[in-house]
Amino acid sequence: MNASEKDNQFLKVAKAIPINEQSPSGFSKRIMTEVRELHSRETTMADERFLRLARNMPLNEHVPYTFEKRIMTMVRDWRTENPFTIWSRVLWRAVAPCMGIMILTALMSFNHGEPTTDSQSLLSKDNTEENFEIDTTDFETVMLASFDDLEYTW
Amino acid sequence: MESTEILPNDDLRTDEEIVSTVVGGEVDSFEELILRYQPRIFGMARKYFRNESDVEDVVQTIFTKTFQKLGSFKQTAPFEHWFMRLSVNTCYDALRRRSKHREQAVTDLMFEDESWQNRLDNVPDPDDQESLDKASELVHSVMVQISDKSRIVLTMQELEGRSIKEISELTGWSISLVKVQAFRARKEMRAAVERFLKKEENL
Repeated sequence: MNASEKDNQFLKVAKAIPINEQSPSGFSKRIMTEVRELHSRETTMADERFLRLARNMPLNEHVPYTFEKRIMTMVRDWRTENPFTIWSRVLWRAVAPCMGIMILTALMSFNHGEPTTDSQSLLSKDNTEENFEIDTTDFETVMLASFDDLEYTW
Repeated sequence: MESTEILPNDDLRTDEEIVSTVVGGEVDSFEELILRYQPRIFGMARKYFRNESDVEDVVQTIFTKTFQKLGSFKQTAPFEHWFMRLSVNTCYDALRRRSKHREQAVTDLMFEDESWQNRLDNVPDPDDQESLDKASELVHSVMVQISDKSRIVLTMQELEGRSIKEISELTGWSISLVKVQAFRARKEMRAAVERFLKKEENL
Protein backbone atom coordinates (compact mmCIF):
# COMPACT_ATOMS: atom_id res chain seq x y z
CA MET A 1 0.00 0.00 0.00
CA ASN A 2 1.63 3.21 -1.13
CA ALA A 3 1.18 6.70 0.44
CA SER A 4 -1.69 7.84 -1.74
CA GLU A 5 -3.65 4.64 -1.10
CA LYS A 6 -3.20 5.18 2.65
CA ASP A 7 -4.58 8.72 2.34
CA ASN A 8 -7.60 7.53 0.44
CA GLN A 9 -8.25 4.81 2.99
CA PHE A 10 -8.11 7.40 5.78
CA LEU A 11 -10.51 9.75 4.02
CA LYS A 12 -12.94 6.88 3.45
CA VAL A 13 -12.95 6.09 7.17
CA ALA A 14 -13.31 9.78 8.09
CA LYS A 15 -16.27 10.22 5.76
CA ALA A 16 -17.95 7.13 7.16
CA ILE A 17 -18.26 8.71 10.65
CA PRO A 18 -21.84 10.07 10.94
CA ILE A 19 -22.32 13.79 11.75
CA ASN A 20 -23.67 14.28 15.21
CA GLU A 21 -26.28 17.07 14.92
CA GLN A 22 -27.64 16.56 18.38
CA SER A 23 -27.73 19.75 20.49
CA PRO A 24 -27.61 19.85 24.27
CA SER A 25 -31.02 19.81 25.87
CA GLY A 26 -32.56 23.27 26.44
CA PHE A 27 -29.90 24.92 24.33
CA SER A 28 -32.39 26.91 22.20
CA LYS A 29 -34.19 28.10 25.34
CA ARG A 30 -30.90 29.30 26.76
CA ILE A 31 -30.17 31.29 23.59
CA MET A 32 -33.68 32.72 23.45
CA THR A 33 -33.43 33.93 27.03
CA GLU A 34 -30.28 35.79 26.10
CA VAL A 35 -31.89 37.24 22.96
CA ARG A 36 -34.92 38.45 24.91
CA GLU A 37 -32.72 40.08 27.51
CA LEU A 38 -30.74 41.81 24.80
CA HIS A 39 -33.91 43.03 23.13
CA SER A 40 -35.50 44.31 26.30
CA ARG A 41 -32.25 46.01 27.28
CA GLU A 42 -32.20 47.74 23.91
CA THR A 43 -35.79 48.90 24.07
CA THR A 44 -35.40 50.19 27.60
CA MET A 45 -32.32 52.19 26.64
CA ALA A 46 -33.12 55.85 27.03
CA ASP A 47 -31.97 56.91 23.57
CA GLU A 48 -34.03 54.20 21.88
CA ARG A 49 -37.10 55.29 23.80
CA PHE A 50 -36.46 58.88 22.86
CA LEU A 51 -36.08 58.05 19.18
CA ARG A 52 -39.26 55.98 19.18
CA LEU A 53 -41.11 58.98 20.59
CA ALA A 54 -39.51 61.47 18.18
CA ARG A 55 -40.20 59.29 15.15
CA ASN A 56 -43.86 59.13 16.08
CA MET A 57 -44.25 62.88 16.07
CA PRO A 58 -46.51 63.75 13.11
CA LEU A 59 -45.15 66.17 10.53
CA ASN A 60 -46.80 69.56 10.86
CA GLU A 61 -46.95 71.14 7.39
CA HIS A 62 -49.47 73.82 8.28
CA VAL A 63 -48.84 77.09 6.42
CA PRO A 64 -49.92 80.42 7.96
CA TYR A 65 -52.68 82.20 6.06
CA THR A 66 -51.47 84.13 2.97
CA PHE A 67 -47.86 83.42 3.83
CA GLU A 68 -46.95 83.38 0.13
CA LYS A 69 -48.43 86.87 -0.31
CA ARG A 70 -46.18 88.14 2.45
CA ILE A 71 -43.11 86.71 0.73
CA MET A 72 -44.21 88.07 -2.66
CA THR A 73 -44.61 91.58 -1.23
CA MET A 74 -41.05 91.43 0.08
CA VAL A 75 -39.74 89.97 -3.16
CA ARG A 76 -41.37 92.67 -5.28
CA ASP A 77 -39.93 95.34 -2.98
CA TRP A 78 -36.37 94.18 -3.29
CA ARG A 79 -36.53 92.85 -6.74
CA THR A 80 -32.92 92.24 -7.58
CA GLU A 81 -31.86 93.33 -11.03
CA ASN A 82 -29.00 92.71 -13.37
CA PRO A 83 -26.22 95.19 -12.41
CA PHE A 84 -25.64 95.98 -16.10
CA THR A 85 -29.30 96.96 -16.46
CA ILE A 86 -29.01 99.31 -13.48
CA TRP A 87 -25.76 100.74 -14.87
CA SER A 88 -27.19 101.38 -18.33
CA ARG A 89 -30.29 103.01 -16.81
CA VAL A 90 -28.09 105.36 -14.76
CA LEU A 91 -26.07 106.18 -17.87
CA TRP A 92 -29.19 107.04 -19.87
CA ARG A 93 -30.38 109.28 -17.04
CA ALA A 94 -27.02 111.08 -17.10
CA VAL A 95 -27.33 111.83 -20.83
CA ALA A 96 -29.73 114.81 -20.45
CA PRO A 97 -27.71 116.78 -17.82
CA CYS A 98 -24.45 116.07 -19.69
CA MET A 99 -25.93 117.41 -22.93
CA GLY A 100 -27.22 120.50 -21.10
CA ILE A 101 -23.79 121.25 -19.64
CA MET A 102 -22.16 120.70 -23.01
CA ILE A 103 -24.52 123.11 -24.81
CA LEU A 104 -24.15 125.71 -22.06
CA THR A 105 -20.34 125.69 -22.20
CA ALA A 106 -20.39 125.79 -25.99
CA LEU A 107 -22.68 128.84 -25.94
CA MET A 108 -20.52 130.60 -23.39
CA SER A 109 -17.34 130.05 -25.41
CA PHE A 110 -18.97 131.34 -28.61
CA ASN A 111 -20.37 134.48 -26.94
CA HIS A 112 -16.96 135.73 -25.78
CA GLY A 113 -15.31 135.38 -29.17
CA GLU A 114 -11.81 136.49 -27.98
CA PRO A 115 -9.71 134.28 -25.71
CA THR A 116 -10.97 134.84 -22.19
CA THR A 117 -8.37 133.47 -19.80
CA ASP A 118 -5.40 135.49 -18.52
CA SER A 119 -2.87 132.95 -19.59
CA GLN A 120 -4.21 133.01 -23.15
CA SER A 121 -4.15 136.81 -23.33
CA LEU A 122 -0.59 136.92 -22.01
CA LEU A 123 0.59 134.40 -24.56
CA SER A 124 -1.14 136.20 -27.47
CA LYS A 125 0.45 139.58 -26.58
CA ASP A 126 3.94 138.05 -26.62
CA ASN A 127 5.23 140.15 -23.69
CA THR A 128 6.67 137.36 -21.59
CA GLU A 129 9.70 139.33 -20.32
CA GLU A 130 7.59 142.09 -18.79
CA ASN A 131 5.31 139.65 -17.14
CA PHE A 132 8.30 137.79 -15.80
CA GLU A 133 9.58 140.97 -14.13
CA ILE A 134 6.24 141.71 -12.58
CA ASP A 135 6.00 138.23 -11.33
CA THR A 136 9.47 138.28 -9.72
CA THR A 137 8.72 141.58 -7.94
CA ASP A 138 5.57 140.13 -6.55
CA PHE A 139 7.48 137.07 -5.54
CA GLU A 140 10.12 139.11 -3.66
CA THR A 141 7.49 141.19 -1.91
CA VAL A 142 5.74 138.12 -0.71
CA MET A 143 8.94 136.39 0.36
CA LEU A 144 10.27 139.42 2.29
CA ALA A 145 7.00 140.33 3.89
CA SER A 146 7.91 138.57 7.13
CA PHE A 147 11.26 140.39 7.34
CA ASP A 148 9.52 143.74 6.88
CA ASP A 149 7.43 142.90 9.89
CA LEU A 150 10.57 142.07 11.90
CA GLU A 151 11.95 145.63 11.42
CA TYR A 152 9.02 147.04 13.30
CA THR A 153 9.57 144.77 16.28
CA TRP A 154 13.14 146.13 16.79
CA MET B 1 -56.20 77.83 7.56
CA GLU B 2 -54.24 76.61 4.58
CA SER B 3 -53.59 79.23 1.95
CA THR B 4 -52.42 76.81 -0.70
CA GLU B 5 -54.31 77.23 -3.93
CA ILE B 6 -55.00 74.38 -6.30
CA LEU B 7 -53.79 75.25 -9.74
CA PRO B 8 -55.53 73.94 -12.82
CA ASN B 9 -53.75 71.03 -14.50
CA ASP B 10 -52.89 72.84 -17.73
CA ASP B 11 -51.18 75.54 -15.67
CA LEU B 12 -48.75 73.08 -14.09
CA ARG B 13 -45.25 73.89 -15.16
CA THR B 14 -42.03 72.24 -14.08
CA ASP B 15 -39.95 73.94 -11.41
CA GLU B 16 -37.23 74.65 -13.96
CA GLU B 17 -39.71 76.34 -16.32
CA ILE B 18 -40.94 78.55 -13.49
CA VAL B 19 -37.37 79.42 -12.51
CA SER B 20 -36.58 80.44 -16.11
CA THR B 21 -39.68 82.65 -16.17
CA VAL B 22 -38.77 84.34 -12.87
CA VAL B 23 -35.17 84.88 -13.93
CA GLY B 24 -36.51 86.29 -17.22
CA GLY B 25 -38.24 89.05 -15.26
CA GLU B 26 -41.71 87.69 -14.52
CA VAL B 27 -41.41 87.93 -10.75
CA ASP B 28 -45.04 86.95 -10.08
CA SER B 29 -44.32 83.36 -11.16
CA PHE B 30 -42.26 82.95 -8.01
CA GLU B 31 -45.50 82.64 -6.07
CA GLU B 32 -46.11 79.32 -7.79
CA LEU B 33 -42.86 77.98 -6.39
CA ILE B 34 -43.74 79.21 -2.91
CA LEU B 35 -47.14 77.52 -3.06
CA ARG B 36 -45.53 74.31 -4.23
CA TYR B 37 -42.86 74.07 -1.55
CA GLN B 38 -44.10 75.96 1.49
CA PRO B 39 -45.82 73.02 3.27
CA ARG B 40 -42.68 70.90 3.04
CA ILE B 41 -40.45 73.74 4.18
CA PHE B 42 -42.70 74.54 7.14
CA GLY B 43 -42.67 70.85 8.09
CA MET B 44 -38.89 70.80 7.95
CA ALA B 45 -38.43 74.05 9.87
CA ARG B 46 -40.73 72.85 12.67
CA LYS B 47 -38.36 69.98 13.31
CA TYR B 48 -35.60 72.42 14.16
CA PHE B 49 -37.48 75.29 15.78
CA ARG B 50 -40.23 75.10 18.36
CA ASN B 51 -41.26 78.72 18.47
CA GLU B 52 -43.67 79.49 15.62
CA SER B 53 -42.22 82.93 15.00
CA ASP B 54 -38.76 81.37 14.59
CA VAL B 55 -40.25 78.91 12.10
CA GLU B 56 -41.84 81.71 10.07
CA ASP B 57 -38.62 83.72 10.15
CA VAL B 58 -36.53 80.89 8.84
CA VAL B 59 -39.03 79.93 6.11
CA GLN B 60 -39.20 83.55 5.03
CA THR B 61 -35.40 83.69 4.87
CA ILE B 62 -35.35 80.49 2.80
CA PHE B 63 -37.73 81.87 0.18
CA THR B 64 -36.19 85.33 -0.04
CA LYS B 65 -32.70 83.78 -0.30
CA THR B 66 -34.01 81.47 -3.01
CA PHE B 67 -35.33 84.42 -4.98
CA GLN B 68 -32.07 86.32 -4.67
CA LYS B 69 -29.99 83.33 -5.73
CA LEU B 70 -32.25 82.05 -8.52
CA GLY B 71 -29.88 83.51 -11.07
CA SER B 72 -27.08 81.23 -9.84
CA PHE B 73 -29.20 78.08 -10.28
CA LYS B 74 -27.70 75.96 -13.04
CA GLN B 75 -30.31 73.90 -14.82
CA THR B 76 -27.97 70.88 -14.80
CA ALA B 77 -29.55 69.43 -11.61
CA PRO B 78 -33.22 69.41 -10.56
CA PHE B 79 -34.39 72.59 -8.89
CA GLU B 80 -35.72 70.59 -5.94
CA HIS B 81 -32.22 69.36 -4.98
CA TRP B 82 -30.77 72.86 -5.20
CA PHE B 83 -33.67 74.33 -3.23
CA MET B 84 -33.64 71.69 -0.50
CA ARG B 85 -29.91 72.12 -0.07
CA LEU B 86 -30.34 75.87 0.30
CA SER B 87 -33.16 75.27 2.80
CA VAL B 88 -31.14 72.89 4.96
CA ASN B 89 -28.18 75.25 4.97
CA THR B 90 -30.38 78.19 5.92
CA CYS B 91 -31.83 76.17 8.81
CA TYR B 92 -28.32 75.26 9.91
CA ASP B 93 -27.23 78.93 9.81
CA ALA B 94 -30.29 79.94 11.81
CA LEU B 95 -29.60 77.21 14.36
CA ARG B 96 -26.02 78.38 14.71
CA ARG B 97 -27.13 81.98 15.25
CA ARG B 98 -29.65 80.96 17.88
CA SER B 99 -27.30 78.54 19.65
CA LYS B 100 -25.24 81.49 20.87
CA HIS B 101 -28.09 82.48 23.16
CA ARG B 102 -29.27 78.96 23.89
CA GLU B 103 -27.51 78.01 27.11
CA GLN B 104 -30.34 76.42 29.07
CA ALA B 105 -29.78 74.46 32.25
CA VAL B 106 -31.20 70.94 32.47
CA THR B 107 -33.22 71.94 35.54
CA ASP B 108 -35.00 74.62 33.50
CA LEU B 109 -36.18 71.97 31.10
CA MET B 110 -37.67 69.60 33.67
CA PHE B 111 -41.44 69.16 33.56
CA GLU B 112 -43.54 70.07 36.56
CA ASP B 113 -46.65 68.08 35.75
CA GLU B 114 -45.19 64.78 34.69
CA SER B 115 -41.99 62.80 35.03
CA TRP B 116 -39.53 62.45 32.19
CA GLN B 117 -39.74 58.68 32.44
CA ASN B 118 -43.51 58.79 31.84
CA ARG B 119 -43.31 61.20 28.94
CA LEU B 120 -40.57 59.19 27.32
CA ASP B 121 -42.78 56.10 27.26
CA ASN B 122 -45.91 57.84 26.02
CA VAL B 123 -45.97 57.67 22.25
CA PRO B 124 -48.16 60.64 21.24
CA ASP B 125 -51.62 60.16 19.84
CA PRO B 126 -51.89 62.19 16.59
CA ASP B 127 -55.47 63.19 17.51
CA ASP B 128 -54.59 64.35 21.00
CA GLN B 129 -53.07 67.80 20.81
CA GLU B 130 -52.08 67.82 24.46
CA SER B 131 -50.03 64.64 24.16
CA LEU B 132 -48.48 65.98 20.96
CA ASP B 133 -47.49 69.20 22.68
CA LYS B 134 -45.94 67.29 25.56
CA ALA B 135 -43.99 65.03 23.24
CA SER B 136 -42.86 67.99 21.18
CA GLU B 137 -41.69 69.76 24.34
CA LEU B 138 -39.64 66.72 25.33
CA VAL B 139 -38.11 66.27 21.88
CA HIS B 140 -37.08 69.92 21.72
CA SER B 141 -35.67 69.83 25.26
CA VAL B 142 -33.30 67.09 24.17
CA MET B 143 -32.56 68.59 20.78
CA VAL B 144 -31.44 71.96 22.17
CA GLN B 145 -28.80 70.12 24.16
CA ILE B 146 -27.25 68.73 20.99
CA SER B 147 -24.76 70.61 18.81
CA ASP B 148 -26.14 72.13 15.58
CA LYS B 149 -24.38 69.84 13.12
CA SER B 150 -25.30 66.77 15.11
CA ARG B 151 -28.87 67.96 15.30
CA ILE B 152 -29.14 68.32 11.55
CA VAL B 153 -27.68 64.85 10.98
CA LEU B 154 -29.73 63.22 13.75
CA THR B 155 -32.97 64.70 12.42
CA MET B 156 -32.27 63.62 8.87
CA GLN B 157 -30.94 60.18 9.64
CA GLU B 158 -33.00 59.01 12.59
CA LEU B 159 -36.24 60.92 12.18
CA GLU B 160 -36.52 61.30 8.40
CA GLY B 161 -34.76 58.02 7.60
CA ARG B 162 -32.35 59.52 5.07
CA SER B 163 -29.16 57.76 4.02
CA ILE B 164 -25.65 59.10 4.66
CA LYS B 165 -25.31 59.86 0.93
CA GLU B 166 -28.56 61.84 0.88
CA ILE B 167 -27.51 63.82 3.96
CA SER B 168 -24.17 64.53 2.35
CA GLU B 169 -25.89 65.85 -0.79
CA LEU B 170 -28.32 67.99 1.18
CA THR B 171 -25.80 69.53 3.52
CA GLY B 172 -22.83 69.72 1.18
CA TRP B 173 -20.68 67.98 3.81
CA SER B 174 -18.45 65.05 2.87
CA ILE B 175 -19.67 61.49 3.46
CA SER B 176 -16.97 60.88 6.06
CA LEU B 177 -17.96 64.06 7.93
CA VAL B 178 -21.61 63.00 7.92
CA LYS B 179 -20.64 59.57 9.27
CA VAL B 180 -18.59 61.11 12.06
CA GLN B 181 -21.42 63.55 12.86
CA ALA B 182 -23.96 60.72 12.89
CA PHE B 183 -21.88 58.86 15.44
CA ARG B 184 -21.42 61.97 17.57
CA ALA B 185 -25.10 62.86 17.27
CA ARG B 186 -26.17 59.52 18.65
CA LYS B 187 -23.70 59.85 21.50
CA GLU B 188 -24.79 63.41 22.32
CA MET B 189 -28.45 62.45 22.19
CA ARG B 190 -27.92 59.49 24.54
CA ALA B 191 -25.97 61.69 26.95
CA ALA B 192 -28.69 64.37 26.89
CA VAL B 193 -31.54 61.93 27.61
CA GLU B 194 -29.59 60.24 30.37
CA ARG B 195 -28.75 63.60 31.88
CA PHE B 196 -32.45 64.43 32.13
CA LEU B 197 -33.29 61.07 33.62
CA LYS B 198 -30.48 61.25 36.17
CA LYS B 199 -31.46 64.76 37.14
CA GLU B 200 -34.99 63.56 37.75
CA GLU B 201 -33.78 60.67 39.91
CA ASN B 202 -31.79 63.09 42.02
CA LEU B 203 -34.64 65.54 42.51
